Amino acid sequence: MLSKLLKHEFRATGRIMGPLYLVLLALSICANFSIRLLDSSDARFLNILGGLIMVLFVLCITAVCIMTLVLMINRFRTNLLGDEGYVMFTLPVSVHEQVWSKIIVSVVWFIATGVAVCLAALIAAFRVAYVGQIVEAIREVMAHITAYYAINGVGFLLEFIVLCFVGIASSCLQCYASMAVGHSFANHKTLLSVVFFFVFQFALQFLGLSGAFSFEGFNFGGPQAIHAFMLILIGLSAAVGAVFYIITTQMLKKRLNLE
Amino acid sequence: MNWQFNNDAPIYSQLIGQIKQGIVSGAFPAGERLPSVRDMATEAGVNPNTMQRALTELERDGLVFSQRTAGRFVTEDRTMIETAKRKLAETHIQSFLTAMSRLGYQKEEILTLVRQEATQGEE
Amino acid sequence: MDNLENEALSTQHSGGAVLECKDLSKSYGNMPALNHINFSIEPGRIVGLLGPNGSGKTTLIKLVNGLLTPSSGEVLVDGMAPGKQTRAEVSFLPDRTCLPTWMTATQLLDFYQDFYADFRRDAAEEMLEHLGINKKQTIKQMSKGTREKVQLIMVMSRSAKLYLLDEPIGGVDPATRDYILTTIITNYNPEAAVIISTHLISDVEKVLDEVIFINQGQMVLQSSVDQIREEKGMSVDALFREVFKC
Repeated sequence: MLSKLLKHEFRATGRIMGPLYLVLLALSICANFSIRLLDSSDARFLNILGGLIMVLFVLCITAVCIMTLVLMINRFRTNLLGDEGYVMFTLPVSVHEQVWSKIIVSVVWFIATGVAVCLAALIAAFRVAYVGQIVEAIREVMAHITAYYAINGVGFLLEFIVLCFVGIASSCLQCYASMAVGHSFANHKTLLSVVFFFVFQFALQFLGLSGAFSFEGFNFGGPQAIHAFMLILIGLSAAVGAVFYIITTQMLKKRLNLE
Repeated sequence: MNWQFNNDAPIYSQLIGQIKQGIVSGAFPAGERLPSVRDMATEAGVNPNTMQRALTELERDGLVFSQRTAGRFVTEDRTMIETAKRKLAETHIQSFLTAMSRLGYQKEEILTLVRQEATQGEE
Repeated sequence: MDNLENEALSTQHSGGAVLECKDLSKSYGNMPALNHINFSIEPGRIVGLLGPNGSGKTTLIKLVNGLLTPSSGEVLVDGMAPGKQTRAEVSFLPDRTCLPTWMTATQLLDFYQDFYADFRRDAAEEMLEHLGINKKQTIKQMSKGTREKVQLIMVMSRSAKLYLLDEPIGGVDPATRDYILTTIITNYNPEAAVIISTHLISDVEKVLDEVIFINQGQMVLQSSVDQIREEKGMSVDALFREVFKC
């Protein structure tokens, strides 16, 4: 059933993100022309037009990023905690499947947005010569990492990607948990959701701070430390995510309060 | 059929009355197949179980009979239908007479009145 | 459908209530909403859950759906506590339209077909067609009345074991009311039980087998409609007015 939830969740979100990515792609191509135009032409009108497109391009990037965030929050809020919750929570699926479908789809869109924005920037700045330079630069960075830290660059990259996934998932879960708690009250559901988000944030920072102190005693050094550090970060993110996951599912199971 | 219900009698007994009426008046002709329980219930806007109960009762009286696979039919026995018609007429007359006597009419007066009304209707 | 009789008989003998409430209570904080409710409903029955506004009807229905958890006592659907399993057997009509508004009618059909094994897509499509609904139309583009009908069609197109209809005829015009009641009695699975919660009794009385009266979280009465009419010589509506006289 999770696959069916995912299918319909992608259907519901794709109809918004898809067109946005297309607009971004179109604008990045326009931006590419504008950059060349601004470089080569002296005509006032063309310069203004080029500038305008660049502004639009930047706005579009911002819009895509904000929309990904808003969609993550809104899908959970309207689809599960709003009126649509009557339909969703009476489907023959478990609460766990519901929450997982939301996490997976949100993480996918965040990553997709990250990739789309990078691609758009590349397209906007594209000149044939650049490609070679970028590939060269990446190779150099990797070589530096490998040489300097004497660690496996690929391993580090993998760890970084995993951290991204876990970190995004855990941040989504923080939002979900705050909404699940906030909406269990009879009144001021939205306000309380925001309040709980900051309560969780504060709790995390407090724990993080005290955690940092406890690490002081350790003596880190050498290449192993980097790996250890990455793995600890991944572990911590996962642990935080797990706590928020438990809060979210328990609230939805025991204290669901649809209007 | 025009199904109508009042508020003080059980619905199944009202259904029995109305189906009888339908048979007697020829809306459900003798020997013809009746619609399915569900269709009749839908048409009357009642619960299928209630319609079922009414038809079972009519079966017991012999006005309808069911054949295992073909469905439910109105009886072919025309004398039985005539008897039912007569009975319905009697109940109508009885209630009419009670109403009239409540108004203070004597039997003879009632008969005169009825005769008058009936002949007026002819003209 | 003439084997209805046989079906009704067989289900009566197979025993086992579709829905059972045992000493069921629910309170919101200190406010009791349902107080020690006990009843059971057999398959093949259409039951009216009747009570004034705020009597606890919606709370009861939410408990059966597992949208709320009982404070004490238990609720059993087909012998199981509400959960993933029972939701596959229960078809629920909420007291509001809550279909995702961005979906088209076709997407909605896909949705129900994907999640419910007992969804009769052809029946649903036929009813939509009968209403003259363009399947490319989104829910958002439909009028409020059409949305309500579409939601009812989705719910009644399932061959469920238990239909829970919360205020299906609240706030609709008489023609729509007839449409809704006809749709219910022509489409429900005869081996299933139907629960209709409402306070508009005179409109549903004819289609009910049984009624359950609840008031202020208490169960007042469970009886058959014809029994009430036979014994008290009055309609359920009249009895309701007497019982709940203000």
